[in-house]
Amino acid sequence: MATAKYTPRPLGLDREFFQLAVTTGKLHLQHCNACGHHQHPPRRFCAQCGSGDLGFVPTANRGEVYSWTVSHFTVDSGWVDDLPYATVVVQLPEGPRLVGAYTGDASTLAIGQPVSIRPEARTEDYCFFWIDG
Amino acid sequence: MNLSGSCAIVGIGETDYVRGAKESSADLILRASAQAIADAGLKPSDIDGILPSANFLSSEEIAANLGVPNMTYSVSVLMGGASPTASLQSAAMAIACGVAKTVLVTFGWDGYSAFRRERRVGPQRQQMQMPFAEVSRNYYAPYGVRSAAQWYSFYLTRYVQTYGVQPEDAANIALASRRHAHLNDKALMAGREMTLEDYLASPYIAEPLRKLDCCLETDCACAVVLTSVERAKDLPHTPVVWLGGAEGHPYPADEITNRPDLLKLGLHTAAPTAFAMAGVKPTDMDVLEIYDCFTYVVMMELEALGFAEPGGAKEFVANGNIELGGRFPMNTHGGLLSQGHCWGLNHVVEATRQLRHDAGRAQVADAELALVTGYGDLGDGSVAILGRGDR
Ligand SMILES: [Zn+2]
Repeated sequence: MATAKYTPRPLGLDREFFQLAVTTGKLHLQHCNACGHHQHPPRRFCAQCGSGDLGFVPTANRGEVYSWTVSHFTVDSGWVDDLPYATVVVQLPEGPRLVGAYTGDASTLAIGQPVSIRPEARTEDYCFFWIDG
Repeated sequence: MNLSGSCAIVGIGETDYVRGAKESSADLILRASAQAIADAGLKPSDIDGILPSANFLSSEEIAANLGVPNMTYSVSVLMGGASPTASLQSAAMAIACGVAKTVLVTFGWDGYSAFRRERRVGPQRQQMQMPFAEVSRNYYAPYGVRSAAQWYSFYLTRYVQTYGVQPEDAANIALASRRHAHLNDKALMAGREMTLEDYLASPYIAEPLRKLDCCLETDCACAVVLTSVERAKDLPHTPVVWLGGAEGHPYPADEITNRPDLLKLGLHTAAPTAFAMAGVKPTDMDVLEIYDCFTYVVMMELEALGFAEPGGAKEFVANGNIELGGRFPMNTHGGLLSQGHCWGLNHVVEATRQLRHDAGRAQVADAELALVTGYGDLGDGSVAILGRGDR
Protein backbone atom coordinates (compact mmCIF):
# COMPACT_ATOMS: atom_id res chain seq x y z
CA MET A 1 0.00 0.00 0.00
CA ALA A 2 1.28 3.43 -0.89
CA THR A 3 2.40 5.78 1.85
CA ALA A 4 3.53 9.41 1.84
CA LYS A 5 6.83 10.10 0.06
CA TYR A 6 9.89 10.36 2.24
CA THR A 7 11.12 13.89 2.94
CA PRO A 8 14.63 14.19 4.33
CA ARG A 9 15.66 16.52 7.12
CA PRO A 10 19.04 17.67 5.86
CA LEU A 11 21.71 19.13 8.12
CA GLY A 12 24.58 21.56 7.72
CA LEU A 13 25.70 22.37 4.17
CA ASP A 14 23.05 20.11 2.63
CA ARG A 15 20.38 22.08 4.49
CA GLU A 16 21.79 25.37 3.18
CA PHE A 17 21.75 23.95 -0.34
CA PHE A 18 18.07 23.01 -0.13
CA GLN A 19 17.01 26.15 1.76
CA LEU A 20 18.30 28.39 -1.04
CA ALA A 21 16.22 26.52 -3.62
CA VAL A 22 13.20 26.71 -1.28
CA THR A 23 13.44 30.48 -0.76
CA THR A 24 14.42 31.52 -4.32
CA GLY A 25 12.88 28.82 -6.55
CA LYS A 26 16.28 28.48 -8.18
CA LEU A 27 18.72 25.61 -7.90
CA HIS A 28 21.87 26.93 -6.22
CA LEU A 29 25.27 25.27 -6.41
CA GLN A 30 28.22 25.45 -4.08
CA HIS A 31 30.90 27.70 -5.56
CA CYS A 32 34.53 28.26 -4.59
CA ASN A 33 35.35 31.91 -4.01
CA ALA A 34 39.06 31.20 -4.48
CA CYS A 35 39.11 29.36 -7.82
CA GLY A 36 35.57 29.54 -9.22
CA HIS A 37 34.94 25.77 -9.12
CA HIS A 38 31.34 24.57 -8.72
CA GLN A 39 30.66 21.37 -6.82
CA HIS A 40 27.72 19.24 -5.75
CA PRO A 41 26.74 17.94 -3.27
CA PRO A 42 28.26 20.63 -1.04
CA ARG A 43 31.49 19.73 0.75
CA ARG A 44 33.65 21.38 3.44
CA PHE A 45 36.50 22.16 1.07
CA CYS A 46 36.91 22.85 -2.65
CA ALA A 47 37.79 19.63 -4.49
CA GLN A 48 39.78 21.62 -7.05
CA CYS A 49 41.93 23.99 -4.94
CA GLY A 50 41.35 22.96 -1.33
CA SER A 51 40.00 26.34 -0.24
CA GLY A 52 37.44 26.48 2.55
CA ASP A 53 36.08 29.78 1.24
CA LEU A 54 32.88 28.48 -0.35
CA GLY A 55 29.44 29.94 -0.99
CA PHE A 56 26.36 29.24 -3.10
CA VAL A 57 25.42 30.77 -6.46
CA PRO A 58 22.15 30.53 -8.41
CA THR A 59 21.80 28.56 -11.63
CA ALA A 60 19.41 29.02 -14.57
CA ASN A 61 17.50 25.81 -13.69
CA ARG A 62 18.63 24.23 -16.95
CA GLY A 63 20.80 21.35 -18.11
CA GLU A 64 20.88 18.26 -20.27
CA VAL A 65 20.31 14.56 -19.68
CA TYR A 66 23.52 12.74 -18.70
CA SER A 67 22.06 9.41 -17.55
CA TRP A 68 18.98 7.96 -15.87
CA THR A 69 17.42 4.95 -14.27
CA VAL A 70 13.89 3.73 -14.93
CA SER A 71 12.59 1.83 -11.90
CA HIS A 72 10.10 -0.98 -12.47
CA PHE A 73 10.35 -2.29 -8.92
CA THR A 74 10.74 -0.35 -5.70
CA VAL A 75 11.14 -1.07 -2.00
CA ASP A 76 9.87 2.46 -1.35
CA SER A 77 6.16 2.36 -0.45
CA GLY A 78 5.96 6.09 -1.21
CA TRP A 79 6.72 5.40 -4.86
CA VAL A 80 4.87 2.14 -5.65
CA ASP A 81 1.96 3.96 -7.30
CA ASP A 82 4.38 5.83 -9.58
CA LEU A 83 5.94 2.70 -11.15
CA PRO A 84 7.55 2.75 -13.61
CA TYR A 85 9.32 6.03 -12.84
CA ALA A 86 12.41 7.66 -14.31
CA THR A 87 15.08 9.34 -12.22
CA VAL A 88 17.39 11.52 -14.29
CA VAL A 89 20.98 12.69 -13.82
CA VAL A 90 21.16 16.21 -15.25
CA GLN A 91 24.45 17.65 -16.49
CA LEU A 92 24.48 21.32 -15.46
CA PRO A 93 26.41 23.87 -17.55
CA GLU A 94 28.35 24.85 -14.38
CA GLY A 95 29.91 21.35 -14.22
CA PRO A 96 28.10 19.44 -11.47
CA ARG A 97 25.19 17.07 -12.02
CA LEU A 98 21.81 16.92 -10.28
CA VAL A 99 19.44 14.00 -9.64
CA GLY A 100 15.72 14.64 -10.10
CA ALA A 101 12.39 13.04 -10.99
CA TYR A 102 11.59 13.02 -14.70
CA THR A 103 8.12 14.18 -15.73
CA GLY A 104 8.30 13.31 -19.45
CA ASP A 105 8.09 10.08 -21.43
CA ALA A 106 10.89 7.85 -20.16
CA SER A 107 10.96 5.77 -23.35
CA THR A 108 12.34 8.70 -25.37
CA LEU A 109 15.06 9.80 -22.91
CA ALA A 110 18.37 10.45 -24.66
CA ILE A 111 21.82 11.57 -23.57
CA GLY A 112 22.22 15.28 -24.31
CA GLN A 113 18.48 16.01 -24.32
CA PRO A 114 17.83 19.56 -22.97
CA VAL A 115 15.80 19.64 -19.75
CA SER A 116 14.69 22.23 -17.25
CA ILE A 117 14.74 21.92 -13.48
CA ARG A 118 11.61 22.76 -11.52
CA PRO A 119 12.22 23.08 -7.77
CA GLU A 120 9.28 22.28 -5.50
CA ALA A 121 9.56 23.29 -1.84
CA ARG A 122 8.47 20.44 0.43
CA THR A 123 9.49 21.94 3.78
CA GLU A 124 11.49 24.99 4.88
CA ASP A 125 14.59 22.84 4.69
CA TYR A 126 13.98 20.52 1.77
CA CYS A 127 13.32 21.08 -1.91
CA PHE A 128 12.38 18.36 -4.43
CA PHE A 129 13.57 18.74 -8.03
CA TRP A 130 11.33 17.87 -10.96
CA ILE A 131 13.02 17.45 -14.32
CA ASP A 132 10.85 18.56 -17.25
CA GLY A 133 11.76 17.16 -20.67
CA MET B 1 58.08 -4.24 1.61
CA ASN B 2 56.63 -6.36 -1.18
CA LEU B 3 53.50 -8.11 0.02
CA SER B 4 53.39 -10.50 -2.93
CA GLY B 5 53.59 -14.09 -1.76
CA SER B 6 53.58 -13.10 1.91
CA CYS B 7 50.71 -15.39 2.82
CA ALA B 8 48.49 -18.20 1.61
CA ILE B 9 44.94 -19.40 2.05
CA VAL B 10 45.19 -22.64 4.01
CA GLY B 11 41.60 -23.26 5.10
CA ILE B 12 38.13 -22.69 3.69
CA GLY B 13 34.64 -22.98 5.13
CA GLU B 14 31.26 -22.53 3.54
CA THR B 15 27.66 -23.11 4.58
CA ASP B 16 24.85 -23.97 2.18
CA TYR B 17 23.19 -21.11 0.28
CA VAL B 18 19.55 -21.13 1.33
CA ARG B 19 16.42 -19.06 1.54
CA GLY B 20 15.25 -19.33 5.12
CA ALA B 21 18.18 -20.66 7.16
CA LYS B 22 17.31 -22.39 10.41
CA GLU B 23 20.30 -20.71 12.07
CA SER B 24 20.92 -17.04 12.77
CA SER B 25 23.54 -15.17 10.73
CA ALA B 26 25.80 -15.29 13.80
CA ASP B 27 25.56 -19.09 13.89
CA LEU B 28 26.26 -19.30 10.13
CA ILE B 29 29.39 -17.16 10.50
CA LEU B 30 30.66 -19.24 13.43
CA ARG B 31 29.97 -22.54 11.66
CA ALA B 32 31.82 -21.48 8.47
CA SER B 33 34.69 -20.12 10.59
CA ALA B 34 35.06 -23.31 12.62
CA GLN B 35 34.99 -25.30 9.38
CA ALA B 36 37.74 -23.16 7.80
CA ILE B 37 39.98 -23.52 10.86
CA ALA B 38 39.49 -27.30 10.90
CA ASP B 39 40.10 -27.48 7.14
CA ALA B 40 43.44 -25.75 7.75
CA GLY B 41 44.35 -28.44 10.28
CA LEU B 42 44.43 -25.79 13.01
CA LYS B 43 42.69 -25.08 16.30
CA PRO B 44 40.83 -21.84 17.14
CA SER B 45 43.62 -20.97 19.57
CA ASP B 46 46.02 -20.83 16.59
CA ILE B 47 44.10 -17.83 15.19
CA ASP B 48 45.32 -14.38 16.22
CA GLY B 49 43.72 -12.13 13.60
CA ILE B 50 39.99 -11.87 12.89
CA LEU B 51 38.60 -9.79 9.99
CA PRO B 52 34.81 -9.97 9.82
CA SER B 53 33.58 -8.03 6.79
CA ALA B 54 30.95 -5.40 7.54
CA ASN B 55 30.96 -6.29 11.23
CA PHE B 56 27.62 -8.16 11.27
CA LEU B 57 29.26 -10.22 14.03
CA SER B 58 32.17 -8.47 15.73
CA SER B 59 35.69 -9.88 15.89
CA GLU B 60 35.36 -9.96 19.69
CA GLU B 61 32.16 -11.99 19.53
CA ILE B 62 33.72 -14.36 17.01
CA ALA B 63 36.81 -14.79 19.21
CA ALA B 64 34.70 -15.40 22.31
CA ASN B 65 32.45 -17.96 20.62
CA LEU B 66 35.18 -19.89 18.80
CA GLY B 67 37.69 -19.79 21.65
CA VAL B 68 40.41 -17.48 20.35
CA PRO B 69 42.18 -16.33 23.53
CA ASN B 70 44.90 -14.15 22.00
CA MET B 71 43.63 -11.84 19.28
CA THR B 72 46.34 -9.38 18.21
CA TYR B 73 44.70 -7.95 15.10
CA SER B 74 41.07 -7.14 14.27
CA VAL B 75 39.58 -4.90 11.64
CA SER B 76 36.38 -4.75 9.63
CA VAL B 77 36.52 -3.39 6.10
CA LEU B 78 33.53 -1.23 5.13
CA MET B 79 33.39 -1.49 1.33
CA GLY B 80 30.16 -3.42 0.95
CA GLY B 81 30.66 -6.41 -1.33
CA ALA B 82 34.28 -5.43 -1.96
CA SER B 83 35.07 -6.01 1.73
CA PRO B 84 35.96 -9.72 1.87
CA THR B 85 38.43 -9.59 -1.02
CA ALA B 86 39.89 -6.31 0.31
CA SER B 87 40.25 -8.04 3.69
CA LEU B 88 42.70 -10.49 2.12
CA GLN B 89 45.03 -7.53 1.49
CA SER B 90 44.67 -6.48 5.10
CA ALA B 91 45.47 -10.03 6.20
CA ALA B 92 48.54 -10.06 3.95
CA MET B 93 49.79 -6.82 5.49
CA ALA B 94 49.25 -8.09 9.02
CA ILE B 95 51.01 -11.40 8.33
CA ALA B 96 53.90 -9.79 6.43
CA CYS B 97 54.49 -7.32 9.28
CA GLY B 98 54.18 -9.95 11.99
CA VAL B 99 51.18 -8.25 13.60
CA ALA B 100 49.32 -11.54 13.25
CA LYS B 101 50.40 -15.05 12.29
CA THR B 102 47.14 -16.72 11.31
CA VAL B 103 44.16 -14.70 10.19
CA LEU B 104 40.48 -15.59 9.83
CA VAL B 105 38.50 -13.65 7.20
CA THR B 106 34.78 -14.29 7.37
CA PHE B 107 31.47 -12.99 6.19
CA GLY B 108 27.92 -14.23 6.63
CA TRP B 109 24.43 -12.87 6.75
CA ASP B 110 20.78 -13.65 6.50
CA GLY B 111 20.71 -11.94 3.11
CA TYR B 112 17.34 -13.48 2.32
CA SER B 113 15.62 -13.74 5.69
CA ALA B 114 16.65 -10.35 7.04
CA PHE B 115 14.45 -8.71 4.42
CA ARG B 116 11.49 -10.98 5.23
CA ARG B 117 10.44 -10.48 8.80
CA GLU B 118 8.54 -13.78 9.03
CA ARG B 119 11.64 -15.80 8.05
CA ARG B 120 14.10 -14.19 10.42
CA VAL B 121 15.65 -16.43 13.09
CA GLY B 122 15.82 -14.44 16.33
CA PRO B 123 16.05 -10.67 16.63
CA GLN B 124 17.82 -8.75 13.89
CA ARG B 125 21.27 -7.80 15.06
CA GLN B 126 23.43 -5.06 13.63
CA GLN B 127 22.20 -2.98 10.73
CA MET B 128 24.41 -2.62 7.71
CA GLN B 129 26.67 0.45 7.92
CA MET B 130 26.63 2.34 4.61
CA PRO B 131 29.53 4.76 4.14
CA PHE B 132 27.36 6.76 1.71
CA ALA B 133 24.24 6.94 3.89
CA GLU B 134 24.21 10.75 4.19
CA VAL B 135 24.29 11.38 0.43
CA SER B 136 21.78 8.62 -0.18
CA ARG B 137 19.18 9.95 2.26
CA ASN B 138 19.34 13.53 0.94
CA TYR B 139 19.82 13.06 -2.78
CA TYR B 140 18.66 9.58 -3.89
CA ALA B 141 16.03 8.26 -1.44
CA PRO B 142 13.60 11.19 -1.93
CA TYR B 143 13.28 10.02 -5.55
CA GLY B 144 12.46 6.43 -4.66
CA VAL B 145 16.03 5.37 -5.44
CA ARG B 146 16.97 3.10 -2.55
CA SER B 147 18.44 -0.13 -3.93
CA ALA B 148 21.73 -1.22 -5.44
CA ALA B 149 20.01 -1.99 -8.76
CA GLN B 150 18.79 1.62 -8.93
CA TRP B 151 22.03 3.27 -7.78
CA TYR B 152 24.17 1.30 -10.24
CA SER B 153 21.75 1.91 -13.09
CA PHE B 154 22.81 5.56 -13.00
CA TYR B 155 26.04 4.36 -14.61
CA LEU B 156 24.82 1.19 -16.26
CA THR B 157 22.37 3.24 -18.37
CA ARG B 158 25.23 5.49 -19.40
CA TYR B 159 27.33 2.37 -20.15
CA VAL B 160 24.76 0.65 -22.39
CA GLN B 161 23.90 3.93 -24.14
CA THR B 162 27.55 4.78 -24.79
CA TYR B 163 28.60 1.37 -26.11
CA GLY B 164 25.35 -0.02 -27.52
CA VAL B 165 25.34 -2.99 -25.16
CA GLN B 166 22.32 -5.27 -25.73
CA PRO B 167 20.40 -7.53 -23.33
CA GLU B 168 21.68 -10.54 -25.29
CA ASP B 169 25.23 -9.51 -24.33
CA ALA B 170 24.47 -9.45 -20.62
CA ALA B 171 22.53 -12.70 -20.99
CA ASN B 172 25.78 -14.51 -21.82
CA ILE B 173 26.93 -13.87 -18.25
CA ALA B 174 23.66 -14.95 -16.61
CA LEU B 175 23.52 -18.12 -18.73
CA ALA B 176 27.18 -19.07 -18.13
CA SER B 177 26.69 -18.70 -14.37
CA ARG B 178 23.62 -20.89 -14.50
CA ARG B 179 25.40 -23.62 -16.47
CA HIS B 180 28.21 -23.60 -13.92
CA ALA B 181 25.71 -23.75 -11.05
CA HIS B 182 24.44 -27.07 -12.40
CA LEU B 183 27.90 -28.50 -11.62
CA ASN B 184 27.80 -27.36 -7.99
CA ASP B 185 25.65 -29.14 -5.41
CA LYS B 186 25.84 -26.09 -3.13
CA ALA B 187 24.46 -23.71 -5.75
CA LEU B 188 20.94 -22.53 -5.03
CA MET B 189 20.05 -22.66 -8.73
CA ALA B 190 21.62 -26.06 -9.47
CA GLY B 191 19.23 -28.03 -11.68
CA ARG B 192 17.02 -25.05 -12.45
CA GLU B 193 17.32 -24.48 -16.18
CA MET B 194 17.49 -21.00 -17.70
CA THR B 195 17.26 -20.25 -21.42
CA LEU B 196 17.84 -17.03 -23.35
CA GLU B 197 14.05 -16.84 -23.74
CA ASP B 198 13.65 -17.03 -19.96
CA TYR B 199 16.19 -14.26 -19.59
CA LEU B 200 14.57 -11.96 -22.12
CA ALA B 201 11.13 -12.59 -20.60
CA SER B 202 12.34 -11.67 -17.14
CA PRO B 203 10.87 -8.34 -15.91
CA TYR B 204 12.87 -5.17 -15.48
CA ILE B 205 13.88 -4.18 -11.96
CA ALA B 206 15.66 -0.95 -12.90
CA GLU B 207 16.58 -0.54 -16.57
CA PRO B 208 18.79 -1.96 -17.98
CA LEU B 209 18.65 -4.58 -15.20
CA ARG B 210 16.16 -7.41 -15.47
CA LYS B 211 15.46 -9.76 -12.62
CA LEU B 212 17.81 -12.37 -14.15
CA ASP B 213 20.62 -9.77 -14.31
CA CYS B 214 20.48 -9.55 -10.51
CA CYS B 215 22.23 -11.67 -7.91
CA LEU B 216 20.36 -13.99 -5.58
CA GLU B 217 19.39 -13.21 -2.02
CA THR B 218 20.56 -16.02 0.25
CA ASP B 219 21.34 -16.84 3.88
CA CYS B 220 24.93 -18.11 4.00
CA ALA B 221 28.43 -17.67 5.38
CA CYS B 222 32.00 -18.32 4.24
CA ALA B 223 35.38 -18.14 5.91
CA VAL B 224 39.02 -18.49 4.92
CA VAL B 225 42.17 -18.85 7.01
CA LEU B 226 45.47 -17.33 5.91
CA THR B 227 48.96 -17.77 7.27
CA SER B 228 52.54 -17.28 6.08
CA VAL B 229 53.70 -19.37 3.12
CA GLU B 230 56.34 -20.99 5.39
CA ARG B 231 53.76 -22.11 7.94
CA ALA B 232 51.43 -23.20 5.14
CA LYS B 233 53.89 -25.91 4.05
CA ASP B 234 53.19 -27.87 7.25
CA LEU B 235 49.40 -27.78 6.83
CA PRO B 236 47.22 -30.38 5.08
CA HIS B 237 46.24 -28.61 1.83
CA THR B 238 48.19 -27.30 -1.13
CA PRO B 239 48.61 -23.61 -0.17
CA VAL B 240 46.88 -21.02 -2.31
CA VAL B 241 49.28 -18.11 -2.33
CA TRP B 242 48.12 -14.47 -2.28
CA LEU B 243 50.30 -13.07 -5.06
CA GLY B 244 48.86 -9.58 -5.15
CA GLY B 245 45.86 -7.47 -4.42
CA ALA B 246 44.56 -3.96 -4.00
CA GLU B 247 41.50 -1.93 -3.22
CA GLY B 248 40.24 1.11 -5.10
CA HIS B 249 37.54 3.70 -4.67
CA PRO B 250 35.97 5.89 -7.32
CA TYR B 251 36.04 9.61 -6.50
CA PRO B 252 33.91 10.72 -4.84
CA ALA B 253 33.14 7.29 -3.40
CA ASP B 254 30.06 8.41 -1.47
CA GLU B 255 28.23 9.90 -4.49
CA ILE B 256 27.84 8.37 -7.93
CA THR B 257 26.46 11.08 -10.17
CA ASN B 258 29.16 13.74 -9.73
CA ARG B 259 32.14 11.59 -10.63
CA PRO B 260 34.07 13.15 -13.53
CA ASP B 261 33.67 9.86 -15.42
CA LEU B 262 30.66 7.82 -14.33
CA LEU B 263 32.14 4.71 -15.91
CA LYS B 264 35.30 4.62 -13.76
CA LEU B 265 35.08 2.10 -10.92
CA GLY B 266 37.37 1.57 -7.97
CA LEU B 267 38.63 -1.48 -9.87
CA HIS B 268 40.14 0.76 -12.56
CA THR B 269 42.82 1.86 -10.08
CA ALA B 270 43.01 -1.36 -8.06
CA ALA B 271 43.55 -3.73 -10.99
CA PRO B 272 46.85 -2.39 -12.38
CA THR B 273 48.27 -2.18 -8.84
CA ALA B 274 47.36 -5.80 -8.14
CA PHE B 275 48.71 -7.14 -11.46
CA ALA B 276 51.97 -5.22 -11.00
CA MET B 277 52.37 -6.54 -7.45
CA ALA B 278 51.83 -10.10 -8.61
CA GLY B 279 54.01 -9.66 -11.69
CA VAL B 280 51.38 -11.18 -13.98
CA LYS B 281 48.96 -9.94 -16.62
CA PRO B 282 45.26 -10.60 -17.23
CA THR B 283 45.89 -13.12 -20.01
CA ASP B 284 47.95 -15.26 -17.58
CA MET B 285 44.82 -16.09 -15.59
CA ASP B 286 43.35 -19.60 -15.72
CA VAL B 287 40.18 -18.92 -13.70
CA LEU B 288 38.17 -15.74 -13.15
CA GLU B 289 35.95 -15.26 -10.11
CA ILE B 290 34.38 -11.88 -10.81
CA TYR B 291 32.00 -10.18 -8.38
CA ASP B 292 28.67 -10.57 -10.16
CA CYS B 293 26.07 -8.61 -8.27
CA PHE B 294 24.71 -7.61 -11.69
CA THR B 295 25.62 -8.87 -15.18
CA TYR B 296 26.39 -5.42 -16.61
CA VAL B 297 28.63 -4.63 -13.64
CA VAL B 298 30.67 -7.73 -14.56
CA MET B 299 31.19 -6.27 -18.04
CA MET B 300 32.48 -3.00 -16.61
CA GLU B 301 34.76 -4.94 -14.24
CA LEU B 302 36.22 -7.03 -17.09
CA GLU B 303 37.10 -3.82 -18.90
CA ALA B 304 38.58 -2.27 -15.74
CA LEU B 305 40.71 -5.40 -15.34
CA GLY B 306 42.07 -5.06 -18.87
CA PHE B 307 40.40 -8.09 -20.47
CA ALA B 308 38.74 -5.79 -23.00
CA GLU B 309 38.78 -2.18 -24.18
CA PRO B 310 36.02 0.11 -22.89
CA GLY B 311 32.81 -1.23 -24.42
CA GLY B 312 34.53 -4.42 -25.52
CA ALA B 313 33.35 -6.77 -22.76
CA LYS B 314 30.32 -7.76 -24.83
CA GLU B 315 32.66 -9.59 -27.22
CA PHE B 316 34.73 -11.03 -24.37
CA VAL B 317 31.72 -12.74 -22.75
CA ALA B 318 30.38 -14.16 -26.04
CA ASN B 319 30.92 -17.54 -27.72
CA GLY B 320 31.56 -19.52 -24.54
CA ASN B 321 34.80 -17.67 -23.74
CA ILE B 322 33.79 -17.41 -20.05
CA GLU B 323 32.39 -20.93 -19.75
CA LEU B 324 34.11 -24.06 -18.54
CA GLY B 325 36.12 -25.26 -21.53
CA GLY B 326 36.49 -21.69 -22.79
CA ARG B 327 39.64 -19.56 -22.57
CA PHE B 328 38.63 -17.72 -19.37
CA PRO B 329 36.18 -19.81 -17.30
CA MET B 330 34.38 -17.36 -15.03
CA ASN B 331 32.43 -17.91 -11.83
CA THR B 332 32.79 -21.66 -11.98
CA HIS B 333 30.68 -22.04 -8.80
CA GLY B 334 27.68 -20.22 -10.27
CA GLY B 335 28.58 -16.88 -8.70
CA LEU B 336 26.29 -14.49 -6.90
CA LEU B 337 23.91 -14.89 -9.82
CA SER B 338 23.32 -18.64 -9.50
CA GLN B 339 25.18 -20.02 -6.47
CA GLY B 340 24.38 -17.53 -3.74
CA HIS B 341 25.37 -14.17 -2.32
CA CYS B 342 28.14 -14.21 0.25
CA TRP B 343 29.61 -10.83 -0.69
CA GLY B 344 32.19 -12.54 -2.90
CA LEU B 345 33.86 -14.55 -0.16
CA ASN B 346 32.27 -17.50 -1.99
CA HIS B 347 34.40 -16.41 -4.99
CA VAL B 348 37.53 -16.63 -2.83
CA VAL B 349 36.48 -20.08 -1.59
CA GLU B 350 35.87 -21.27 -5.18
CA ALA B 351 39.20 -19.86 -6.41
CA THR B 352 40.90 -21.76 -3.58
CA ARG B 353 39.17 -25.00 -4.57
CA GLN B 354 40.17 -24.49 -8.20
CA LEU B 355 43.82 -23.96 -7.28
CA ARG B 356 43.81 -26.95 -4.93
CA HIS B 357 42.44 -28.91 -7.93
CA ASP B 358 39.49 -29.83 -5.76
CA ALA B 359 36.62 -28.16 -7.66
CA GLY B 360 34.85 -31.35 -8.68
CA ARG B 361 32.92 -31.23 -11.93
CA ALA B 362 33.70 -27.50 -12.30
CA GLN B 363 37.49 -28.03 -12.17
CA VAL B 364 39.48 -26.01 -14.69
CA ALA B 365 42.24 -28.38 -15.84
CA ASP B 366 45.70 -27.58 -14.43
CA ALA B 367 44.58 -24.24 -12.95
CA GLU B 368 47.62 -22.36 -11.61
CA LEU B 369 46.41 -18.74 -11.38
CA ALA B 370 43.05 -17.31 -10.37
CA LEU B 371 41.71 -13.79 -10.25
CA VAL B 372 39.09 -12.71 -7.72
CA THR B 373 37.33 -9.35 -7.63
CA GLY B 374 35.10 -7.67 -5.11
CA TYR B 375 32.73 -4.81 -5.84
CA GLY B 376 30.58 -2.91 -3.42
CA ASP B 377 28.92 0.19 -2.03
CA LEU B 378 28.74 2.68 -4.92
CA GLY B 379 31.51 1.15 -7.06
CA ASP B 380 34.38 0.33 -4.67
CA GLY B 381 36.60 -2.45 -5.98
CA SER B 382 39.04 -5.02 -4.67
CA VAL B 383 41.28 -7.62 -6.30
CA ALA B 384 43.10 -10.75 -5.22
CA ILE B 385 45.43 -12.68 -7.51
CA LEU B 386 45.94 -16.20 -6.21
CA GLY B 387 48.37 -18.90 -7.28
CA ARG B 388 48.73 -22.61 -6.62
CA GLY B 389 51.61 -23.00 -4.16
CA ASP B 390 54.21 -25.71 -3.67
CA ARG B 391 53.88 -28.63 -1.33
ZN1 LIG C 1 38.57 26.15 -5.34
